[in-house]
Amino acid sequence: MRERHGDCKMKKIYIQEEYCIGCRLCEIYCQVKHSKSKKIIKAFKEEMIDILPRVLVEEIGYNSFAIQCRHCSDAPCVEACISGAMQKNKNTGVVTCDEDKCVGCWSCIMVCPYGVIRRNLSGKKIASKCDLCIDEEIPVCVQNCPNEALKFMDKDAKEKNPVGTKTGRKNEK
Amino acid sequence: MKSKNDNRKNNKMFKDNETIDYLIIGNSAAGLAAAESIRELDKSGEIMILTGENYLNYSKPMITYFLSGTVNLDMIHFKDDKFYKDNRLDVRLNTRVKSIDTDKMFLITDDGNRYEFRKLLIASGGRPIVPKIKAIGTKSSGFIDGTNYDKTEGIFTLTNLEDAVRVKNYIEKNGIKNISILGGGLIGLKAAEAFLEKGIDVNIIELADRILAATFDREASGIIEKKLKSTGSNIYMNNTIEEIHIGSGKITGYKLKDGEKMECRLLVIAVGVNPDTGFISSGSLDMARGIIVDDHMRTSAKNIYAAGDVVEGPDMISGGKRNIAIWPLAVRQGTAAGLNMAGGNKKYGGGFFMNSVELLGIPSISMGITNVAEEKEGFEVLKYLNTNQDMYRKVIIKNNRIIGVILVNNIERAGIYSGLIRNEIDISSVKENISREDFGIIHLPADYKKHLVVGEGIEV
Repeated sequence: MRERHGDCKMKKIYIQEEYCIGCRLCEIYCQVKHSKSKKIIKAFKEEMIDILPRVLVEEIGYNSFAIQCRHCSDAPCVEACISGAMQKNKNTGVVTCDEDKCVGCWSCIMVCPYGVIRRNLSGKKIASKCDLCIDEEIPVCVQNCPNEALKFMDKDAKEKNPVGTKTGRKNEK
Repeated sequence: MKSKNDNRKNNKMFKDNETIDYLIIGNSAAGLAAAESIRELDKSGEIMILTGENYLNYSKPMITYFLSGTVNLDMIHFKDDKFYKDNRLDVRLNTRVKSIDTDKMFLITDDGNRYEFRKLLIASGGRPIVPKIKAIGTKSSGFIDGTNYDKTEGIFTLTNLEDAVRVKNYIEKNGIKNISILGGGLIGLKAAEAFLEKGIDVNIIELADRILAATFDREASGIIEKKLKSTGSNIYMNNTIEEIHIGSGKITGYKLKDGEKMECRLLVIAVGVNPDTGFISSGSLDMARGIIVDDHMRTSAKNIYAAGDVVEGPDMISGGKRNIAIWPLAVRQGTAAGLNMAGGNKKYGGGFFMNSVELLGIPSISMGITNVAEEKEGFEVLKYLNTNQDMYRKVIIKNNRIIGVILVNNIERAGIYSGLIRNEIDISSVKENISREDFGIIHLPADYKKHLVVGEGIEV
């Protein structure tokens, strides 16, 4: 279990799009993580259609990146949620959707500027989004990215080690 | 202000009353967002909330989900008891405001109590519009209107939980299998959605030549109309109810403008909602349709703020002021109002209309200005229509900025468009991609894309 921390020290997933090779392993491990069996073969054989990946790889040609909920500090999805299902945890900063409370009105989809909330229609209609794998040391999409295209760190670490460079040198702009 | 007598009487009665630090009229999205924000900055000030309703908390947009049975009364709240306790909110139920003295800073409630305040937030929401309709068979006036419609059994409005509970009970008690809805706008269609889910047929009567006329264009309305008709529902366009027929105190039917007579045991009047400003005496606050507020949610009176469905606030798209009665903006306005009431300095930043509605399994999202005459005023319209799959996507552009979007059926990633509207992004370099079915961040202008992908999180 990760340490609880306020939003400013909150660890987030940062995207290094230059390093994404579009392998989609992040999507696969996300699906497995959110499956019932948690086993890759079983999940794919039996549960696949019901599990939406909560990280999304976008790709045109050789240009690709993986994106998931940014856990915004002023999260518009929380603001727009009519049921109280979408909440930002005051201690961890993680934005999660309480699936029991969600009524599938899609207000969150309407306002998320990243477009990273999806409709889960496998059972009762609910919004599906990244929960930052709160019970893991490192979210599985980051853990299983073979090329460090996703990094899990807090803001300070990000500033010391700018995203987009492997060595930590300042990114030329 | 109205009654000096009342004041004196109440003064005497409530001599010991202290002045309340933060008084909030309204216990819904805007009022509670404000309360939470006030408490962020002011840990000790007294916050009191007045509501005319009898429920501690429920989500107004969810009343149709309650009707359809998706949620029950235990699940319809959007804030739990702990929220009220943690933020130390003193809520007074069944307490309707009668009048406000904006100069002397106190208000009077229907039950005669007087509340003095240091800061006031008016977040009283909206009230349903009930048009005056000729009624045959009433004992009294010969008309149905806002003052007496609820005296006739089977006639309802549907804007609060009490309405929904009464409609639900009435359906169950009388075994209603067919419901007429006057008004094919958002409230009417959300109600239709709930009834259809319960297996109840609906007749929708709409004054315009199509449903959802204010938020959809002709193509989008057409897709929903076609689907509605395929389920056995009827839509009467260019039409309205001319007279209501009443027998033994109950509605029995009505006559349409085109002369057709209909049987009806349950009529929902859903022609619209007005800001609930009845307790504000004319001249005490700057008003248009709603209470006019600035970008800090201040009204024209000192120490009095307003937020939510009751206001006319900054509209990002027109640049003017507009009443945009939607949940996300109510929360945003309430948050800004609360912070400012407690001494902060928070700009609201304006908003624009948006709505998500799913009818008969067809989800749709519309935002901004959705219905324009293309040739006029330099609008550019990009469309994608797949009639077989009822798939529709329309993007309206002016000066290279998106000002409106309609999505029917494929609503995935709709929020990317709201981000583009809110941030006024120049999309001229990516115009050919903008109405793609698989539109995503990767298609966005390079700078904005980088901002979304590499950034910490954007200012929203």
